[in-house]
Amino acid sequence: MEQHSLAQRLIARPELGPFVLLIVELAVFTAINPAFLSPQNISNTLAFTVELGLIALAMTLLMTSGEFDLSVGSLFGFSPVLMWTLFNAGITSLEIAFLVALVVAALIGLVNGLFVTRLKIPSFLVTLGMLLVVRGTALFITDGFPQRTWNAGGQWLAETLVGDFFIGPFRVYMSLLWFAAAAIVLGYVLTQTKAGNWIQASGGNAGAARARGVNVSRTKIALFILSSVMAAIAGIISSIRTSAANPNSGTGYELEVIAMVVIGGTALIGGRGTIIGTVLGVLILRVMRNGIVLIGVPGLAYNIFIGTIILGMMALHSQLERRHQAGT
Amino acid sequence: MAEELIRMERIAKSYGRIQAIEDVSLRVHQSEIVGLLGDNGAGKSTLIKVLSGAVPATSGDIYVRGRKVNIRGTTDAISHGIETIYQDSALVTQLSIARNLFLGREPIKGPRFLNRMDKRAMEDVARDLLRKVGIEKNIPPSTPIGSLSGGERQAVAIARAMHFDSDLIILDEPTNNLGVAETQGVLRFVRNARDSGHSCIFIAHNIHHVFQVVDRIVVMRRGRVVADDIDPKRTSVEEVERVITGMSEYEGRGGRGDGAA
Repeated sequence: MEQHSLAQRLIARPELGPFVLLIVELAVFTAINPAFLSPQNISNTLAFTVELGLIALAMTLLMTSGEFDLSVGSLFGFSPVLMWTLFNAGITSLEIAFLVALVVAALIGLVNGLFVTRLKIPSFLVTLGMLLVVRGTALFITDGFPQRTWNAGGQWLAETLVGDFFIGPFRVYMSLLWFAAAAIVLGYVLTQTKAGNWIQASGGNAGAARARGVNVSRTKIALFILSSVMAAIAGIISSIRTSAANPNSGTGYELEVIAMVVIGGTALIGGRGTIIGTVLGVLILRVMRNGIVLIGVPGLAYNIFIGTIILGMMALHSQLERRHQAGT
Repeated sequence: MAEELIRMERIAKSYGRIQAIEDVSLRVHQSEIVGLLGDNGAGKSTLIKVLSGAVPATSGDIYVRGRKVNIRGTTDAISHGIETIYQDSALVTQLSIARNLFLGREPIKGPRFLNRMDKRAMEDVARDLLRKVGIEKNIPPSTPIGSLSGGERQAVAIARAMHFDSDLIILDEPTNNLGVAETQGVLRFVRNARDSGHSCIFIAHNIHHVFQVVDRIVVMRRGRVVADDIDPKRTSVEEVERVITGMSEYEGRGGRGDGAA
């Protein structure tokens, strides 16, 4: 096999498809409604983007290792409820409540990981069960009512997580910086580190990885914990930004997050994952949601577009994969 | 005769009431390729599984360079320098050649907590190894295993065993499903491995492949070693076939019912 030219290698990259799609989306929406590119609209889109995006980044690593997590949407709702309930009842300070929420999330991730690796139950079933347990708990401890969060004003923790500032006309939320930092760190982990090699090997051929001394179970458990903690952080950020901790929030997010990850080019069956692709996938779905409203398509039609994108991108990825396997 | 590398003594393995192998002994010397032959169900795979740590023996002892060792899992076997290459060689198809070679033992560059793989070093070693094992085509080490042919995959697996100083490389049906040219390639890799000081146990259904490469042939039948010192240079393929099927009165040293040397 001779060295491929730069152009050939670019075309073979799984991120190319999503990248082109994002450009097309931006071009079409801007052509129909120039307000699409207004600073205000960009700021709004980005603010909401990163909350699902944080979960998608962790899910990328987890899916690369061959597992996925359906309980992230319920943690997105449960964690802020837990944090604000502790704080509002005067039991702890906000900082401690935040830490407690993260530790509980980590434990939930640990339980997911242990069920999957020790009991060899598919992650689909384990995390589906956990979804119901966690969502049920959130509804039970709140009687289904949202928790007050407006005491967050002025708290340094709230400012650090979601405080905003202006760069020129753009209103930037701190959460965007956290998302960028997480993307860089997790991208580095996946592509540059020994841990990243283990994650890919665990998803690609767990038996081969184990035979080489890779601790597949521990790798997967760590990623389940990461996934839960990221979902908790995303939920808490969202609750502070919208001033509401609703036990029902995050419903259905798990599927949207998985869609973002696979649109970006990460394989559903594991072994191959891309953080750049996930960032593109996150932007594609968020821009679509925002754009179709701006150009006057009823918001209820959103799912038609999303479904079409998923099907189209899957067809493209499978085509690329087949060419790749044929060695051309 | 060169120094003794591996000695398996009076190994038995039963699965419930089924006795897969019984009272089997096997020696492998330094820089020696031993061909292990036998019909289906003769016990070759079970013997190899015991040696590679895939299943524990019911009884018997294993010695490496004269020292008794305890092999309870594949990682134990690897740490004693015993590497097994299976038909569907244990490689991760999505990962590159270099990443597969170093899987589980990736070299780290820079501060430890950054956990950063030394990709440059990995690719340099990989390139060098591919040449050493005898791959003539110029395959970049960043190529994913998925786009290699069956023979090239075997080459990568053999290269990995050579690099990590496995004293004994067990090849279980390495030429299955390979074309003629590919098979010749794999046989050449095996010879190269021996020439650089490694020992091999070579298992294949195709006796002709075995004859082309091994120094000594061991035949198993019904869970026992029935001949363990057949010289392929002085024995015909037909004669060995008769030993395998039990139609011959050929009794190698330590023949029927007494595998011990």
